[in-house]
Amino acid sequence: MPISRGTLPRKAVGAAVPVVLAALTLTACGGGGGGTSADGKVAGDISFQTWNLRANYKDYFNGLIAQFEKEYPDVRVKWIDQPADHYADKLSADAAGGTMPDVVNVSPDLAYPLARAGVLTNLDKEPASAKYRGEYTPEAWQANEMPGLNGGYAFPWYLNTGPLFYNKALFAQAGLDPDRPPKTYDELFADADAMARHSGGKVATLAATPAIEDFGRYGVRLMNADASEFTYNEPKGVELLNRYKQLYTSGGLDSTALTNGPEESGQKFLEQKVAMNPGSAHDLSNFKENAPTLYKNLGITDAPNNTGHPNMYVMGLGISSTSRHKAAAIAFAHFVTDKRNQESFAHKVAIFPSTKGSLDEPYWTRDDGTDEGRVRVAAARMLKGAVNYTPVVMSDEMKTVLQNQVALALQGKKSPKQALDDAVAQSDRLLKQS
Amino acid sequence: MRQSRGAATHWAASPWLFLLPGLAVIAVFNLYPFLATVWQSFTDARTLLPGHWVGLRNFQDMLHDDQFWTALRNSALYVALVVPCTVLLPLLLALLVQPRVRFVGFFRAAFYTPVVASVVVVALIWNWMLDDRGLINGILHALGAGPVPFLGNGWLLLFSAMALTVWKGLGYYMIIYLAALANVPRELHEAASVDGAGAVRRFLSITVPSVRSTMVLVGALSSVAAFKVFSEVFLMAGPTGGPAGQDTTLVMLVERTGTGLSGRVGYASALSLVVFVITLVLMLLVLRAGRGEGER
Repeated sequence: MPISRGTLPRKAVGAAVPVVLAALTLTACGGGGGGTSADGKVAGDISFQTWNLRANYKDYFNGLIAQFEKEYPDVRVKWIDQPADHYADKLSADAAGGTMPDVVNVSPDLAYPLARAGVLTNLDKEPASAKYRGEYTPEAWQANEMPGLNGGYAFPWYLNTGPLFYNKALFAQAGLDPDRPPKTYDELFADADAMARHSGGKVATLAATPAIEDFGRYGVRLMNADASEFTYNEPKGVELLNRYKQLYTSGGLDSTALTNGPEESGQKFLEQKVAMNPGSAHDLSNFKENAPTLYKNLGITDAPNNTGHPNMYVMGLGISSTSRHKAAAIAFAHFVTDKRNQESFAHKVAIFPSTKGSLDEPYWTRDDGTDEGRVRVAAARMLKGAVNYTPVVMSDEMKTVLQNQVALALQGKKSPKQALDDAVAQSDRLLKQS
Repeated sequence: MRQSRGAATHWAASPWLFLLPGLAVIAVFNLYPFLATVWQSFTDARTLLPGHWVGLRNFQDMLHDDQFWTALRNSALYVALVVPCTVLLPLLLALLVQPRVRFVGFFRAAFYTPVVASVVVVALIWNWMLDDRGLINGILHALGAGPVPFLGNGWLLLFSAMALTVWKGLGYYMIIYLAALANVPRELHEAASVDGAGAVRRFLSITVPSVRSTMVLVGALSSVAAFKVFSEVFLMAGPTGGPAGQDTTLVMLVERTGTGLSGRVGYASALSLVVFVITLVLMLLVLRAGRGEGER
């Protein structure tokens, strides 16, 4: 029978459907599969994903991998580095596609949704990884413990904390003592007010609205005990926002603060349009290179806090729960984050190790007289007892909710109390939906 | 004429075989994502968690979401204010650079340059210029005025982003108009001039009717682009959408709610569906208006 015009497509479709379904089924299953035992032999090919580190530390990581492969000849490590932007989207695509690298660089807020989706291994439940827990500072390990998920989901890697940089020349111009920067929130708000008055509103002291970690440092309770509800609308939170509102009105807070991100705030400080900005030891070389006048007048002080516990940022290495060579992945993640290798990495870049006792080493306790040394020692001192204030359950959308409500309060469109109540209500609703 | 079996087979299968690569691409990259978006808009799916059927709940939530109404207002305003500018100004610009006079090539290239410039770079430059201590406010200060909070006030920020969109699109639509103007018979203008018609009269009675279909095309293209605006506002207002999210557009809201590891994919899909329907209606209205004009 000749094939008619009408029957061919129908037949073709009929034949194609099972093929397409088979292909879809195969692709859907291809990346998944359960992970292997973590107690097995340390062998196999594993992938290791970092977050924007290849550009500056290629040789370090290649050396590290070569060293590991020498110690474990049955393991081959494939290093993947992702750009800084859209890292969370890359992780979500990998996780959804079942192609998560065996060892992956995560911060606690990225680890939480991955852990909740069952994509990361609970390190406390695997004897092969749980045995290493004691090597890290308790604060660093706890930073990767997820509420409701009973365990740590990433090996603590490097830490950072921010000193507060200030412009001594702008302080002097405002009649403030450049050698006595504010140490407490009361002093900070008083100095900012003076700066705004003396400069006729031309020089602001800060360029960013308060974020969740600012509420934490101020001593506001951010969440309830089981992390099921936000509580930063308590009276202390309202008090902080009231003070920021006064600051905004007086010109002590830059007029573009409502939309500024960390980069914009940093740029304002670099251009000497604001007098203070939180930063890290990374920024020193930037100041030296791009703003030599500022660098000459640069002051460094501790970020004020009312709790005695500064804020810290934690990076970690998570293990994919579907890793085919989990034993090798755990061995490698531990190798990268062990005391020797963390300290060695922290000598190359202005970060801080999370292993016990590392911050007592002379490199982090003795001021060598250089600016870098001064910042390093000050930051290392702050890190002892520092905590990660940002709740891991707080998604980017919840952070935006807070920022927008704070902006409404600063603009006078809502009272600080109402703004924080609304932010908490919206964030709680998002939390319950998640 | 009776065809042989082989010939018939060849004749029937060939079009489909030729179409297959294109259809496969459309199916994988257009049709499947579209159908998946429609499906997900009725679920509570999140980035890493499968969704459950929730019926119309996402759409009901939208009605009570202040950010949605703010975003809808901003996207609609973008269309209302940007489209007339992108329909008319490039036409005037095209008329200006149409005559073949000395240095006209330079001006054509200059007007087209913003089109090829990266929107990120351009937005950064505009941000620097519009900053409280930037070039524009510097000039205003020298004149004894300002500073104007272009980047600190939600409305001014939105209008600044609109100005950027118009400025960046002028060259693109100008090229389209130049092509259309080349087809307008010169004799019509000459005859009108002989009859005593001035430049404005000739523009209204000859140029505009002659390029009406192109104006409709530009209107349709720029309406869709304006309603789906993202880059300019995102880059100028920041990821939060300006002070208190006041400048958020619909596509920005889709991006904000649907991306990241905790993204609300179901809700973002419902928002995307709303954007799709409104865009479709908008385009049909513009095309219908154009057809109505043409039939008159």
